[in-house]
Amino acid sequence: MVAIYYVMAVSALYFVILLFSFRNIRDIFRRANYSKYNTLSGSELVPSVSLLVPAYNEELTIAENVRCLMTLNYPTYEVIVINDGSSDDTLQVLIEEYGLTLLPNPELRGNIHTHKMRGIYYNPQYPQLYVIDKENGGKADSLNAGINLSRYPLISSIDADSLLEKDALIRMARMYMENPEETVAIGGDVRIANGCVIENGEVKDVSLPRRMWPMFQSIEYLKAFLGGRIGWSHLNGLIIVSGAFGMFRKDYVIAVGGYRGGYPGEDMNIIIKLHRYMLENKIKYRVSFCPEAVCWTQAPDSYNILSNQRKRWGRGNLKNMIENRNMLFNPKYKVMGLLTMPYNVIFEALNPYFRITGLLALLGYVMLDMTNWQVLVVFGLVNFLSGYLLSVGALILEEMAFRRYTKLSDLVKMLLFSALKFVGYHQLGVLWRVQGHIQYMQNNNSWGTMTRQSWKDKNEAA
Amino acid sequence: MSQSATLQRVQAVDFYGRLEEEVRGHRNGTALLFLYCAGDPSGTDAELTEVQSFVDQLSGVNSEVLRDVSTGVLALTLPGYTLDAAHYQALLLKQHLQGRLEQSDPRITLAALTETPSTQTMKQMAEAARLSTSSDIHIFTQEEADRDQSRILIVDQDATVREFLQIRLAMQGYETLEAVDGLEALDLIPKWEPDLVLTELNLHGIDGLPFIHHIQQLKVKEPPKIVVLTEKRVEQTISQCFQNGVDDYVTKPFSPVELDARIRRCLH
Repeated sequence: MVAIYYVMAVSALYFVILLFSFRNIRDIFRRANYSKYNTLSGSELVPSVSLLVPAYNEELTIAENVRCLMTLNYPTYEVIVINDGSSDDTLQVLIEEYGLTLLPNPELRGNIHTHKMRGIYYNPQYPQLYVIDKENGGKADSLNAGINLSRYPLISSIDADSLLEKDALIRMARMYMENPEETVAIGGDVRIANGCVIENGEVKDVSLPRRMWPMFQSIEYLKAFLGGRIGWSHLNGLIIVSGAFGMFRKDYVIAVGGYRGGYPGEDMNIIIKLHRYMLENKIKYRVSFCPEAVCWTQAPDSYNILSNQRKRWGRGNLKNMIENRNMLFNPKYKVMGLLTMPYNVIFEALNPYFRITGLLALLGYVMLDMTNWQVLVVFGLVNFLSGYLLSVGALILEEMAFRRYTKLSDLVKMLLFSALKFVGYHQLGVLWRVQGHIQYMQNNNSWGTMTRQSWKDKNEAA
Repeated sequence: MSQSATLQRVQAVDFYGRLEEEVRGHRNGTALLFLYCAGDPSGTDAELTEVQSFVDQLSGVNSEVLRDVSTGVLALTLPGYTLDAAHYQALLLKQHLQGRLEQSDPRITLAALTETPSTQTMKQMAEAARLSTSSDIHIFTQEEADRDQSRILIVDQDATVREFLQIRLAMQGYETLEAVDGLEALDLIPKWEPDLVLTELNLHGIDGLPFIHHIQQLKVKEPPKIVVLTEKRVEQTISQCFQNGVDDYVTKPFSPVELDARIRRCLH
């Protein structure tokens, strides 16, 4: 019976969050369409931003991504690429593409501890581009190195496998400028670029991925970002700003000691730390989500890579929860302590175990003939329908406000895959999470590999 | 055959040089005629022979019909002809061509010369023949030759801005062309050789400053002037632009009158 209550609670919570998303979508639509981003993108009054791009073995995609980042519509910004001791030619590709030379005595402003920096490359012809070469120390370490070099009051972390839309940064800055005192972090909307046509560092033609795994992830991201995060940000209970694209106040990031190295999930960790710091010091703050700022990312398209990524997420999530367990049900931490953290522990981290025990219990009931198959079917149907309704809700949000996918066939495909997701993909997700937890117990702390495909090859393949 | 091929190549190299020589050879004035056959799939070889045969039967004319291989424009001189006589011959030539080559649609630009024209003027005449939309014979006057025909390349990703600028600048008598982004513009500049590039800094494909730098690196005879018309109002960017050799910097929203004045000042 517990399982049934559990499922009901999850669904109810999801629906409440989705409702909040719907409440906000009209505002989002209007501000996305009626704001004068063009004028704003030339204004001296927009705060300047340092873009931090950690890159580890990205020789195939890095040139295209940097080209994309160099042509954003934004008044003042710098791009800092951090080569995290890549074993491939990432650094050489950049040096050749932009004619960079080693800076003789670079000026470092921050003093967060990082691994040894080998040098900083620069070319006065591209005054906004810096490339840091450092010894391998992980993503968090790279971001910290970038913070140390950055000149501007805002930082934005961007994955080297992601492409920003030209207006993405200015849209985020607009949100920041509405409430610069309180806003400490803003997350962007991450979408799957597999299947899209990419030209000159820009997504030209939006369409859904052809392959199965990226397709499922597309739906999943849409649901998580539009259905989930808009609602959570309304409650100021966002627990994660995607590592692929987020903007932060540098002073507070430094105040909480920068990114934590040595473990995945650094993107969730920094947000929890920010929440904790602000609440403990009783400073009014907001962690916002800006769905109109879009970042396109390459999703893993094979089972192995995807499972590695998910195990890593499971591991990172568990680690973050255990580290911050004192926030759980602690009224001092307000929404964070009373809602977000419990939600994450019970419905995200422990989700697999509830599901598995629930399933076992159900099987047991059936075996012992304590219940009949009708109950089982009804239970399954309710479970499926509520989940499907949530996905459809996210799709409706997408269609109401953004309409990135214009083809009707894409829409039908999304509806179909939202349903197919419940057969197999969901169960795999549960499995991966458990495996991630096992890895955590075994102290297996590898990042796993993510093989990239060049954006160009992708176009041909798609 | 091989001889004529070599001959043609030499002609192509200095079509205008030879034309100038020919005009200079006739002391007491000559008529100069440019002809371009639009929509002729059979190629220009047939035209060339037809025009040559027409010229040969004229009494007192023994000039050779020249051809610009790169554009397909034909040129011939009619020494001693006044404008009205030349116009009559041009009409006959048009009729002759239309009779012989069914699909040919000749466009003719004609001028009576008393002195040797500049290469620029001749280029203008050839261009006028090539781009003419009517089959009437176009009489090229002194006024037309004097008219300010500076070329301006408009680079902006916003179609509305491009259209506005294009209409306004065309009304001022400039020749204009549009490019959506920096890469397209970099492709167009060596081909079209504009006198001035009017560009936004927020461009797709390549950013403003590197774009300007690339323009200056292009191998063109006369590097175009660069005027920036942009949303960016950050002082640092403005000073960087001037350091990179930009001729003027105008921010949006802009006053069209001011922009006109600044463009005029850059060109003269």
